[in-house]
Amino acid sequence: MSENILKLFRSELKVINVGLELFKDALEDQSVSVAQVSWQKPPKLEKEYEDILSKIL
Amino acid sequence: MSTGLCRSTGSRTCHEILTLVRNVVKKNFHRDSVHLLKLSEEAKKIKGIKDVAVVMGTVTNKEILTRLGLLTDEGKAATENDMILAVMADSDDGIEEGLKQVEVMILKPPETKGRSYYSVDAALQAVPDANLAIVSIPGEYARDVVRILLDRGICVHLFSDHVPPEHELELKQYAKSKGLLVMGPGAGTSLIGGKAIAFANVIKRGKIGIVAAAGTGLQEVSVLLSEAGLGVSAGLGTGGGDVKAKIGGLMMLQSIDALERDPETSAIAVVSKPPDPNVSRVLLEHITRQTKKQYVTCFLGSESYIIPQAAVGRVRRTKTLHAAFSEAARCADPDHHTQIMSRFTLPQNELKSVANEASKGLKEKQRYVRGLYTGGTLAYETLIILGRLIGNVYSNAALDSKLKLSNSYQSMKDSIIDLGEEEFTAGRAHPMIDPTIRKMRLIEEAKDPEVAVILMDIMLGYGSHSDPAGAMLSTIAEAKSIAETNDRALPILAHVCGTEQDPQPLSEQEKKLREAGVQVFKTNALMAIASAMISKRDTLSSDALSDVYDHFLGGF
Repeated sequence: MSENILKLFRSELKVINVGLELFKDALEDQSVSVAQVSWQKPPKLEKEYEDILSKIL
Repeated sequence: MSTGLCRSTGSRTCHEILTLVRNVVKKNFHRDSVHLLKLSEEAKKIKGIKDVAVVMGTVTNKEILTRLGLLTDEGKAATENDMILAVMADSDDGIEEGLKQVEVMILKPPETKGRSYYSVDAALQAVPDANLAIVSIPGEYARDVVRILLDRGICVHLFSDHVPPEHELELKQYAKSKGLLVMGPGAGTSLIGGKAIAFANVIKRGKIGIVAAAGTGLQEVSVLLSEAGLGVSAGLGTGGGDVKAKIGGLMMLQSIDALERDPETSAIAVVSKPPDPNVSRVLLEHITRQTKKQYVTCFLGSESYIIPQAAVGRVRRTKTLHAAFSEAARCADPDHHTQIMSRFTLPQNELKSVANEASKGLKEKQRYVRGLYTGGTLAYETLIILGRLIGNVYSNAALDSKLKLSNSYQSMKDSIIDLGEEEFTAGRAHPMIDPTIRKMRLIEEAKDPEVAVILMDIMLGYGSHSDPAGAMLSTIAEAKSIAETNDRALPILAHVCGTEQDPQPLSEQEKKLREAGVQVFKTNALMAIASAMISKRDTLSSDALSDVYDHFLGGF
């Protein structure tokens, strides 16, 4: 069951970084290839709209 | 918008000067703490401004703004979902101009160097052969993102905190079923393929594998192995929640199995704060029955487990990070173990000489230790050692709930403060990145006439401040000057956790501290012992000292 993990140890790292760019920068400084995902919080509905929607749906 | 007329306070200036402070609150406006730290540093360069802070309106941030003299009634009303722009200047014009420029800065979307993707799916399409992901988004949203990554067969380093335990369990069970790793939540450090993931150091490749439910514990052991010339094959951080009853050590076990099969790994160190007793039993049974390699267990101070006879010799117990390093070094190079350890450990009489020298000029009533830590596991190691040497030690992360500080911002008698705990970090960059909170605390401790010695960790590596020792120098000088003005000495001790290959080379960081009059120690454990020698002097029990030397610096 550890095959995937052992493969990770042996492979060149290719990283998806979701969130803090600090970590992307650190990996790029180490010559690691990184794809940055600029994740955003889902927009939060105002309470009154949320209440209306919860009644409708 | 309101203006407060405040006095500069504390460390900011020796004489009181009237200054203007204004806060503007941006409702429901969010940026991550590291971005806001950078922005605040940039805003400090605006002409005419005396000080500025741009922070989310968490309780912690409001407490710190108050202490900096930067909070007004407007800011007090902000919630954790709001952003506070706090500006201090000598004139209304200065405030107006400063705020105008800060507002422009915050409205700019965060810049991304190079290309970025707006969804995980888009990034996966662009990099179909990705094999690792780092996730550092608010914990409540982490499950959905991690699930997508696991579906694609990708191991995840989950840095996020506040992931609900039921989400953690679900993700880890799923990862286990797919033969993958979810390192975290709350995983600060990993070392994979010779690369530092998140807060980690540049570590020499070697034969020791490390599994850790303790981020700075992994950093300390890996750094010492690297500096000893031995190195690490892989370091897998599981997050502290993994060894709690609900999770049952799922990823600890998964990591142990992987390292057991890894041909590059000859011995494995398992490092954790004391696990739940049942998890501890499961881990030990697994290690003693299902493995063949050499193991070093370090459940930090826990003595409640016994290694079965059949595994004695192959599995070594330790109580501290220093001891885990020592035993791992023994596994990696038994022939040169004594020689290696002589570079990292001082004999008792030599450490006493160092402590005696540092104690010169202390007044009789200076009897207390104060530790200002950014690394939680290092603070924990110090609590264990001081607990044995001097008894009751107060802390915001106390080993015994009776010794928990009622106010984390106020030390009592002997106190060790973990500045990485929630009450100091909510909505702020971690003190390994932002030294503000430790600088403020160092001045407060220096003013206390009963403090004999202050100790601190300086964490190097990727993720940390670009010059953590340099960032403390002016405050160290101020702290020493406060003591001197009051006709006292104030020994300050430091342990720099890092390697010569780190972005902030170890020797340069140590040199800066030594030149500022700081006593530097090779390991955190040695620093902790020295702090007890300095503070308790002739009242320190020689039996306790011998016990620590015999059982806390090596296997037991």
